[in-house]
Amino acid sequence: MKRQNARTLALIVSILTYLVVGAAVFESLESKQEKTHKRKLEARKYELMSKFNLTKEGFEELELVVLHLKPHKAGVQWRFAGSFYFAITVITTIGYGHAAPSTDSGKVFCMFYALLGIPLTLVMFQSLGERINTFVRYLLHQAKKCLGMHHTEVSMANMVTVGFFFCVSTLCVGAVAFSHSEGWSFLHAFYYCFITLTTIGFGDYVALQKDNALMNEPRYVAFCFVYILMGLTVIGAFLNLVVLRFLTMNTEDERRDAKQKALLSISKPRGEVARLLPIQTSSSSIPAVADNAAKAKDLKGVYTEVLHFQTICSCLWYRSKEKLQDSSMIPQELRISDAYLPQNSDCPHYVEPGSTGCVCSPRQCTSISSITTGLQFFSPFRVFKRRSSV
Amino acid sequence: MMTQNIRTLFLIISIIFYLLIGAAVFDALESDSESSRSRALEQKLNELKRKYGLKEDEYREIERVVLQSEPHHAGRQWKFAGSFYFAITVITTIGYGHAVPRTNAGRAFCMVYAVLGIPLTLVMFQSLGERINMLVRYLLCRAKQGLGFQRTEVSMGNMVLVGFLSCSSTLCIGAAAFAHFENWTFFNACYYCFITLTTIGFGDFVALQKKDILQNQPPYVALSFMYILVGLTVVGAFLNLVVLRFLTVNADVRAASEGEDSIKVLCFLHQMPKTSSNLTPSSFIVFHSIVQSEAVGV
Repeated sequence: MKRQNARTLALIVSILTYLVVGAAVFESLESKQEKTHKRKLEARKYELMSKFNLTKEGFEELELVVLHLKPHKAGVQWRFAGSFYFAITVITTIGYGHAAPSTDSGKVFCMFYALLGIPLTLVMFQSLGERINTFVRYLLHQAKKCLGMHHTEVSMANMVTVGFFFCVSTLCVGAVAFSHSEGWSFLHAFYYCFITLTTIGFGDYVALQKDNALMNEPRYVAFCFVYILMGLTVIGAFLNLVVLRFLTMNTEDERRDAKQKALLSISKPRGEVARLLPIQTSSSSIPAVADNAAKAKDLKGVYTEVLHFQTICSCLWYRSKEKLQDSSMIPQELRISDAYLPQNSDCPHYVEPGSTGCVCSPRQCTSISSITTGLQFFSPFRVFKRRSSV
Repeated sequence: MMTQNIRTLFLIISIIFYLLIGAAVFDALESDSESSRSRALEQKLNELKRKYGLKEDEYREIERVVLQSEPHHAGRQWKFAGSFYFAITVITTIGYGHAVPRTNAGRAFCMVYAVLGIPLTLVMFQSLGERINMLVRYLLCRAKQGLGFQRTEVSMGNMVLVGFLSCSSTLCIGAAAFAHFENWTFFNACYYCFITLTTIGFGDFVALQKKDILQNQPPYVALSFMYILVGLTVVGAFLNLVVLRFLTVNADVRAASEGEDSIKVLCFLHQMPKTSSNLTPSSFIVFHSIVQSEAVGV
């Protein structure tokens, strides 16, 4: 089975298992408490009914009004500040539900607003997150240099540690602030920050709902908005670092497969070379070309390495140097000849070593011409030095 | 570097403007209706308080009991079916809030559950979405061949159209079903499906909350869960098609510049004495074209 299909199937199965396991655990944690709580409330209800001399209908009347008044209890929700808060909960998909549009036109506008806003917000957070990660990488690099370390490259583990640390501190800072301003316990405030910054947004705890804060405390309101947006940026940067690469896994694999297929189709005119290029990274169809099997493997290895260049972000230069030197170069058989050159036959095949280093004259291969300008930044001596040590 | 910074700055400014505009429009649409409703309800409340002879603190007691009883109206929320529903709302980040963990252990587990579950779910939906897009692309190509088109390649426009149509039909089918089973108007059911499938999840409309449905109607419950997951897949596939490339756009710009480095590598290795390198010029061209097309993200 193709790698991508196997991967997708495995993911589906894991999610379903994860849901089942989660459901079982939540049931064991919450079910009993729910039953006792419900019974207590019923008892209390009858107590109150007899205390205040209310009939069942009377109580239900009151109940209806109370429930309808619930969103209004927290103050005015739809003036500018409240609407801004609501707009944030829409485009970030937090969606507390503390205030929800009641008019039909509000609902319609909400849907269109979300349609454009959500992708825009996703792109913005990832863009900003990537910038932040680059900046942090730079700072860490400088810090390592200052501290006089041997290896000043910033590894993925360094970045993940720093990212995780920032996420946790963002949560803690928010928890402290909200527990102070909203009168929640630290744990409840932490839970609120977590549920908000993961954009789950239950709505059991919602900031800015006490004492008409939206109207009366503009500074606290501004703090909340800034906190939510910056917290989401920090989380987004961490996701950009850790998760984003996995979202494009299948697409990258498809790209690689397509490229190899293209390579295969190029080699078709030359019969004997085609036998040497049984390129499939999925192990399914390597033809049993017995005597060339080993060479084919070498080929596959080198091709894979070349294709791999682009997918590894940081150590590109070092990797490429090492791989091309350590691997057994391209075996003689890969004298892929004229079939691969562009149609115009007046392209010179060889260029004297020591000249620009390009195989075609620049006018022939326009894409290569950019290299000639880049070459001067390149120190050949390092390469030759390594060579001599072999 | 510069393009990425400019792009990021532009995005930040757009979002801020978008929020400001949204706030103004919501204010205009909802504010008046809110204040008139609020006034009417306050009046009704005062009437009732007078009718039943309730003082303020007595009313507060009743209010507290009513508000706390609210989630219980829909029946048991934490048996297996309800917990499964809750788990879905957590890892998909929908988060209705119709049922929330009340124990501290439940809340702690919820957080841990989300930390692992949410990235896993994101990756799963994107993975499945990409597979679905591939399948659709293949089917469209076949269809074009079958219909005798001259050019059978499937363009991006085709894919976006098909994706948009599938999203809309998913929405409409769900709306029809929920309007019927939950007794909502078609418009409200559409609104519910939209808010669910975009994972906003306000919780003003929540399926499976009529009395004891979670326990008594397992086929409808299963259908609802499947609808949510399949619907999110369809939306995820559309996002994978349209939005995902923009999430990696900054990284691609950097990768493209790194791609130039790898070309320099190959160039210099070619420059080395023939004995130390079997890289013929023609093989270099092959390598180069591969690397170059990778660099521009073809």
